[in-house]
Order: sequence, then structure tokens, then C-alpha cells
Amino acid sequence: MATRIHPLLILFTVLVYVFLLGPLIIIFGASLSDTTYLTFPPQGLSFRWFQNIWDISAFRRTIVTSLQMAFLGTAIALVIGIPAAYALNRYRVTLPGWLSTLFVLPILVPEIVIGFSLLRSVTVQAGVPVWYALLIGHTLLVIPYVIRVVSASLASFDFSIEEAAISLGSPPARTFFTIVLPNIRSGVIAAFILSFITSINDVSVSLFLTGPGVSTLPIQLLAHMEQFFDPTIASVSVVLMLLTILVMIIVERTLGLAIVAK
Amino acid sequence: MPRYQRLALSSISAAALLAALPAGATTFTISWWGFNGDKMQEIIVNPFQELCGCEVVFETGNNGDRLNRLAMRSGAGVDVIYLTDSYSQAGIEQGLFQPIDRAQVPNIAELYDLAQAPQGEFGPAYTVGRIGLVYDSARVNPPITSWNDLWRADLASSLSLPNITTTAGPMVVLQAGRHAGVDAYTDEDATFAALAELAPNIVTNYNTGSEMINLFSTGEISVSMTQDFTLGRLRDAVPTIEWATLTDGEIAVLNTINIPTGSENVELAHQFINFVLSADIQRQLAEQGVDAPVNATVELSPEAAGMWTYGQEQIDSLQRIDYSQLNPARDRWLDRWNETFGM
Amino acid sequence: MKRLAGWMLASPATLAITFLLVIPVAITVGLSFGSPGQGDWGIVQPYADFFASGFRRNVLWRTFTVAGWVTVISLAAGLATAYVVARCPPWMKSTLIVLAVFPLLTGVVVRSFAWLVLLGREGMVNQVLQATGLTDGPVAMLYTQGAVIVAMVYIFVPLMVLVLVGVLENIPEDLMQASSSLGAGPVASFFQVTLPLAVPGLIVGAVLVFTASFTSYATPHLLGGTRQMMMGTFLQQRALVAFDWPGAAVVAAIMLAVIVATVLVMTRVARRLNPMAT
Repeated sequence: MATRIHPLLILFTVLVYVFLLGPLIIIFGASLSDTTYLTFPPQGLSFRWFQNIWDISAFRRTIVTSLQMAFLGTAIALVIGIPAAYALNRYRVTLPGWLSTLFVLPILVPEIVIGFSLLRSVTVQAGVPVWYALLIGHTLLVIPYVIRVVSASLASFDFSIEEAAISLGSPPARTFFTIVLPNIRSGVIAAFILSFITSINDVSVSLFLTGPGVSTLPIQLLAHMEQFFDPTIASVSVVLMLLTILVMIIVERTLGLAIVAK
Repeated sequence: MPRYQRLALSSISAAALLAALPAGATTFTISWWGFNGDKMQEIIVNPFQELCGCEVVFETGNNGDRLNRLAMRSGAGVDVIYLTDSYSQAGIEQGLFQPIDRAQVPNIAELYDLAQAPQGEFGPAYTVGRIGLVYDSARVNPPITSWNDLWRADLASSLSLPNITTTAGPMVVLQAGRHAGVDAYTDEDATFAALAELAPNIVTNYNTGSEMINLFSTGEISVSMTQDFTLGRLRDAVPTIEWATLTDGEIAVLNTINIPTGSENVELAHQFINFVLSADIQRQLAEQGVDAPVNATVELSPEAAGMWTYGQEQIDSLQRIDYSQLNPARDRWLDRWNETFGM
Repeated sequence: MKRLAGWMLASPATLAITFLLVIPVAITVGLSFGSPGQGDWGIVQPYADFFASGFRRNVLWRTFTVAGWVTVISLAAGLATAYVVARCPPWMKSTLIVLAVFPLLTGVVVRSFAWLVLLGREGMVNQVLQATGLTDGPVAMLYTQGAVIVAMVYIFVPLMVLVLVGVLENIPEDLMQASSSLGAGPVASFFQVTLPLAVPGLIVGAVLVFTASFTSYATPHLLGGTRQMMMGTFLQQRALVAFDWPGAAVVAAIMLAVIVATVLVMTRVARRLNPMAT
């Protein structure tokens, strides 16, 4: 029999959830307001502030750039991260213990320090063009997520299946793609989603690495906020929220939401 | 094909597709504040894009931010840069700009004298402004008539001052010095003591004109110090805003436009400068509340002229700042400013 | 061959992180030091200058304070919520977890902006305060330390809930039942059985939230303004506005030192508090 939970505790939890979700509902309402200033409840209903996102070229460009960074950065991180995770699990004895700490460094080191350091070394001293420097920053940010999540998936993978396949004559590379990867599928997808969202929402690294014509959505949102404190900010926020919901639906369809609770 | 491979492939092709978006036409990069972006788009950018057949891209931010980024890229990355005279002076000293070939910019001849070559062979001024005080007449009584009014006790938590890193920031220090009865350059202690007395009146300091307007429109402040280019939008946001008539005089600011050494479209840049200095564009900018004209052939109606620094007489009446003295002081003052207001 | 295989597979990631993270950050830290003969303190002179400045000490102290409060409040709120959620039936539990995690995925800017709207003079909080008669006029809430703390708690509570639900779920229900069958009430059981076992997880959550809030930029920037500068916003000012890169490097190095120290200390504390935990 489960222990009874004190009603005050339940009330508190309800309040916490109101606290968490309320502001997002308010932003949603404010985005639909037919006024030039931010207000809730909305006065008049209109989609014009969503239209405005499309009208402002800076938003169009930065949405594209953000998507490019997220897709490419995650793709590159997957390409170099999956082998690393595999090596950590399969060849653990041959690799030094500090290696897994190294792979987690981008999470440990403060993002703002990473951004500043990359600006100095990559953009200024090495002269790397803005777009590539930004891509480097985003890829770096998500590598630990890829390695950690895929590693966790590989930890529960029975390597004897792989060895059996190899001993039956299957070449190691092909075995990897046909035996190992399908079994860690959920891990790879989870890593992709986690990395994608991290990249889309990044501020501290992009802050230093953006340049003329090359900026990301959160940075553009910050700039817009300083100039126009209007419902466009709310509508962009709603778009981001919808994107998140979309991603969560995809997760639910492919993996089941239990993955989130892990 | 297994799911993950499909996912990977579609990610990469999506990215490739996005990367292949139109980049055909020449890109002309302008570095400016971003203020009044929509009007600039209409009056300057769209017509210029038609003229040049190019695509215009921006780098926005305040003076310090953009000049520093330019320095970081060693003068490359933008084709023209808008700065206030104090910052373009710093840019010149850092060797970031190239001299303007005035043969390619004939409209310079139509400008007021002080705008034609304010910094030698480098960029001309495209507007002249003045720095003064604004207040919400619905909330501030009696009205502001002097710089000293900033220290009034009834203005507690109603003030926002330009941050030291903005154009007007160092002028705050100069005025504080005057309030304390000293020369800010020589007696910094007394000056900053006067500034410290101001602290209870300040809500937060602003970094951009738009930030200041937001603070007014959301009711967070009722008095500020600013340049007159903000007046148009400020009045749109808060109709009861008044530009204070100051008994102790206002300060002139010239905004310049320069071509960095690393510009990739030098000829186009000269064309652009000539374009924005033309009488037609200058008149439109003034009438739309964007910038005061420096083209002497522009004639404005009395209402339009009312909000600007306009006419030879008014221009002659303003105080000018000696930036060779101010710029080095500003770097020194940044730390003391932080200490005074950031504690 | 096997030995090489491991390295070959791990080398792209290793090289990437070494050259793109370790070396640039090391260069930054290197930049923070002065030259041997400089001032009274030689190579540590820039740090001496940092700590000599009242303003800078204040920024550092304020960052510790804010991060501390955010961690404590998030911990309390998160623990209470996670306790309830962990005891819900499975169908409800996953919905609640999803709802708690959803804000986490919308990004810092959106969520900080929400509080910018709520706490303004014409924002909802002020509207409610005036409507209920608790205040006469609008209260200035923005650009204060309180605003920054509230917004950051908002940012980090979902993270805390997520971590703690996992932790609490790992504590076997049997233990609680055994404890109550021995006569302990729910409160006593919680403090003497559940809490000690949850401590390592609590520490993980606390470290995550503390380090993230200590190094935060967007939230202090939007809600604190220039009068509530924290280490993150100060670093940005030094680097991009004042163009003082050695000064910025000092700030970066100090941030790094605090994070490393926090992680090391807390790991040791966790191990000592509950040697039974894995």
C-alpha cells in the first residue's frame, strides 16, 4: 500500500505546475493580441505578429541559420560521437579513464567561457569565417550529449551478438551498421533530439560567434527585444514552443515517452 | 534503409538544401544600430537594393559592440559602418577605416561645413544631433529645465541614463562634473561623488536608444538623457514626452559613415554614401523622424524642423566635445562608472 | 590491433575536443595571467587587481548569492514536486514528467522573456497586486536581484524535478513500508529513510543548478540590467563592449575555477554522506 501524501504537498505541487506552465500560456495569449504592445489577456485576436516574423528578413535568415547549425552540428557530432561512444564501451580497457571526462568537458566548462575562448582562438587568431566558427561552436556543445546518451544505450547492448556475427564472417564495418546501430537506435534518436534542441536554444556560445548576416534565432530574439518590445517576441516564442511540441510528438511516436524519464 | 540512416541522410540533405539558399547577388553589408530599422528599410535599403542590384545585410548593435567586432576582424566583414563621431574617431585611431574618395561622393559639397570633413579625409557626417533630456510630462512636475534637475529627490527610481559605453554616456560624467562645480577631467573624485548621489534616482542604465524607449513605454522610467534622433519614436510610444528646454545648453553630436579597410565593395560603398547624403533621402529621413539633415539644400516645414537640430543658426549654437580628450578619459571612467552604479 | 581500434574510433572526438575546447580555454586562462615582474604580485597581478576592485568583488559575491538562492529554492520546490510525482500512478507520472520537462525545452530566452512581461510595471503581477488591493501603485520589480532569482528558479525547477524524480524512483518502496510498519510516521520516514538515500541525487541536482546559474548570461542580462551585473554578463561586457580581453580572461578563469571546485567538493561530500550509494 502506498503511503498517503499530505494534501498540502499535493497543493504545493499543483502550484509548482501552475508556476511552470502559466507564463508559457501567457506568452501564447500575448502573441495573439491585436495590439502593438505586450498585454495579457489579449485584446482582439490576430495572427499579424506571426506574419511579422515572416516579414522581418533578420528573422527569416536567423531561423535558417539556426536550423542549419542544429542539423549540421548534430550530424557531425553523431558522426564523430558514435564511434567514440562505441570505443568507450567496447574497448574500455585499452583507453585511459580520463577520456570519458574529456568528452564531457563541453558541459562542464561554462558555455560563456567556451564562446569567449572560441571567439579568440578560432575567429580572431585563426581567422575562420563566421559561419564555420559558429558551426564549430554548436558541434562542440552537443558532442557530450551524443557520446553520453549513445554510451548509455551501448552499455545495455550485448556485444556477444556482434562478436557472433563477426565470427560468422561478417566484416566489422558492416556488422556495425547492421547489428549494432539498429540495437542502439533509441539512443541515437534520443541523442539527435537532445542535441538538436540544445543547439537551437543556445545563447552563450552563439553570443560570441555570430557576425554580420550570420546569427541564430535566440540571439536575434534578444536583439529584437532590445529594439521593439512588441508581440513579435511572443509569437517567435510560440513558434519555438510548437517546434518543441513537434519534437516531443516525434519522440513519443518513435520511442515512447518513457525515454524522457530515464 | 534503416531508420537512423534515413534520419541521418535527411538531416544532411536538409542542411545542404538550406545552405544552398540564394546567395547569387552581391552582398552589401551595413553596420548600424538597427534603430528605426523599418523606416531605414523603406527609405534607404529598398531603393538602394534596386539601384545596385545587390542584397543588403546588417550587423546591428551599439557603437562599442560593432566597432570592437570590426577591430576583431581587422576591419573586414562590413562595407560601410555608421558610428557616432567619438567612436569613429576611435576607429580612425585604430586604423580601421580607409579614406573616402570624395570624387565619388559629389553630394558632400551640398552639406553644411561642419559635416563635410569632420574627421579629415575619412567619412562625412550624415546627420547632426544634440544630446539633452527627455521626460514624461504626465508624470514629472515641475518640468525639467536644467541638467541639475536630474538630481531632484522627486525623481527617485524614475531615471535611466545612457551607459558609459554609449555616445551620451561620457556626457553624463561631464554634466556631473559641472553639477559638482568641477572639471570632470581633472577632479574625478568629486565628479563621481556627484554621480553616486544620482544613483537612487536610477532604475537601470540603457545601452541602446530602443531600450530607453521600451523603458518609457512600459512605465519603468519617466526621465532620461538621450540624443534627439530618438524623439520621433519616443513620442509615438508615449505622446506626453517632452524634450526639455535646458537653460544650460545642449551638446552636439555628429554621426559619421565610414568605409572600413576590409570592405569588399568599395565602389558600392561610395555609391551608398552618396545616396544617403542626397537631398531627397535626407529630406525623407527628416520628415519620417529618423535623422536630422545635414544637406544644406534640404528645406523642412516648421513642424518637421521643430524636432531636429536644423538650420545653420541652431547648429552653430551647440557645444562641441573634444574627443581627443574625452576618448582616453572614457576608458578610465568605465571602471568608476561600474563601481558607482553596479554595486 | 585491438588497442589501436579503440583509439582510432575515439580519435576524431578526442581531437575535436582537444583542439577546439581544451586548447582555446587553456589559451584563455593563460591570457589571464600577467608577466612575472608586473606590479606587486607578478603573474597573479591581474587576479590581485580583480579582487582589489570593490565592484568586481561585488559582482562575484552577487553571483554566488543569486546562484545559491536559486539552488536552494529549486531544490526545495523540486524535491517536494518530485516526491509527489514519484508516487503517482504510472499513467499520470509520465504526463506530469512531460509537462515538467516541456518548459526546459523551450530555451532560456523565451522563458526569461516571460518574466520580463510578468514583472513589468504594467505586467500581470502588478495588475493582480493592484486589483487585490495589496499595493496602491505599480511596484518596480524589474532590474532587481529578486527578479533575476525568480526567473532563474523558473528556468531550473524543471531540471531539478527531472533529476529528482529519477532519484526518488530508485529508492525502493519497501523501505518506506518497512519504516512505517516499524511505527514511523510519513514525515519521520521521509527524513530518516528517503532523504539520506536521495542525498547523492540531490547533490547532483544541486551542482547542476548551481553551476548553470553561476555561469548564466541571458537571464541576468534581461532581468537584472546593468545594476545587477553577474559574472556572465560581466564577462560579456569586458570581452565585447570594453574590449578588455585580459580582464575578460580573468573573469573566465575565475568562473572555471569556481565550477571545478564546486564539482570536486560536492562529489567528495556526496561520497561521504552516503557510502552506500553507487
